[in-house]
Amino acid sequence: MKFIKKSLAALLIVSTTHVGFIQTAQATMIGTEEVARVAQDEARRTGDEARARLQDLFTRADVQARLQDLGVEAADARDRVAALTDEDATRLAEQIDKAPAGGIIGAILLVFFVLLFTDILGFTKVFPFTRSIR
Amino acid sequence: MVLGRIGLTVTPEQLASQVFLPGRQGSLQIEMLSGARRNAALAIEIPSTLEALMRETAAGHPVVVLLNLGLSWAPSWHYAVVIGYDLDEEVFLLRSGPMKRQALPFRTFELTWNRAGRWAFVALPAGQLAVTVDEGGTTHALVAFEKAAAPEYAAMAYRSALVRWPGSLTLQMGLGNSLYRLRDLHGAEKAFRMAAHSHDAAVAWNNLANVLLELGHPDEASRAAEKAVSLGGPTERAARETLGRLRARQ
Repeated sequence: MKFIKKSLAALLIVSTTHVGFIQTAQATMIGTEEVARVAQDEARRTGDEARARLQDLFTRADVQARLQDLGVEAADARDRVAALTDEDATRLAEQIDKAPAGGIIGAILLVFFVLLFTDILGFTKVFPFTRSIR
Repeated sequence: MVLGRIGLTVTPEQLASQVFLPGRQGSLQIEMLSGARRNAALAIEIPSTLEALMRETAAGHPVVVLLNLGLSWAPSWHYAVVIGYDLDEEVFLLRSGPMKRQALPFRTFELTWNRAGRWAFVALPAGQLAVTVDEGGTTHALVAFEKAAAPEYAAMAYRSALVRWPGSLTLQMGLGNSLYRLRDLHGAEKAFRMAAHSHDAAVAWNNLANVLLELGHPDEASRAAEKAVSLGGPTERAARETLGRLRARQ
C-alpha cells in the first residue's frame, strides 16, 4: 500500500511538472483555431453582407404574403436570420441567388426547416412555427 | 460501422456512450462529428447534393447521412451509412442500424434525406480527404480534428491537405502546431518557417520564435519575435509576450 502511495505521488509529481512545463512553453504559441479565426474575419464580413441581403428579402411584399399564409410572423423570421452563422447565411444567400425566380419561397422554407430541426433538438425555442408549417 | 470500414476499431457500445445522449432519443449531429474525430476518424461535412454523396461513395468513402423516416411534423430521426448505389436498380445501399444491407430506392432516399435537411458527412482515416469539399470546409474540419484527435493523426491529415492546398496559412500553421505538440521541434520549425516566409504572417513568426527558443537559438528567436510584433494585427499581444519572455532570458 505504501509502495502504491509512493509511486502514485512520484507519478503525480512527474506529471504535474510536465504539464507545467508545457503550459509555460505554450503560453505564447498561437493555436490553429486562432489562425483560422483571423483568416475568417474576411468570411465574417461576407456573412454580414449575406445576412443583410436576407433581411431585405423578408421585407418584400410577396415574401411577407407567403409568410402570412404559413402563419409565420415576419419579425420572428428576421430574428432567425440574424441568428444564422456566417457560413449558413452565406450559403442561404447563395442558394437564393442560384434559385429560379420562384425559388425564393423554397429557400424560405429551408429557413423554417432549420428552425424546426433546431427546435426539435432543443437548441432553440422559436416554436409557433411547427404548428404553422403543418 | 463507418469506423470499422476505415480500419479503426471501436465497439458500438463505446461509441454509443460517447455520442448517445440518453435525455434525447438519438445522437446530436455535432456529437456524431466529434465522436468520429475523437476516434481518429476525420469527419468532414459534405455538400448537400446527391451528386456529392454519389461522388464520395464512388471514391470508396462511407457517407453518414441523417434521414427523417417520419414526416416533418412527426419526425423519426435516423442515422445511416451509404455504402454504395446501383444505377440500374436505382437504389442506394445503406448500412442502417442493425441492417447490414438495406436497398433504398433513390426517390425514397431523397425524400427522407430532404426531410432531415440533407445533412451528410464522410469519416476518413487521417491522410485521406473528401473529394467534394472545398478548401474552407476541409480546413474547418481539420482544425476541429486537431482539437479532438491525437497530434500524429492531425499532422498526417494536415500534410495530406497541404498537398492539395499548399498555399494555405491555416493548414501550414496547423501542421506546425501538431508537430509541436508531438515534440517534433525540427519538423515544427520547418513548417512555421515555411508559413512565415510564404505569408509573412505574425502568427507564423510568433510560433517560430517559440520553437527556435526551445531549440536553443535565442538570437534568431528574438529576430522572429520582433518581426511578429512589428506586423501587429490581432495577435500582437501574444507576440509581445513572446518577445518579453525572450528578452527576460537574455
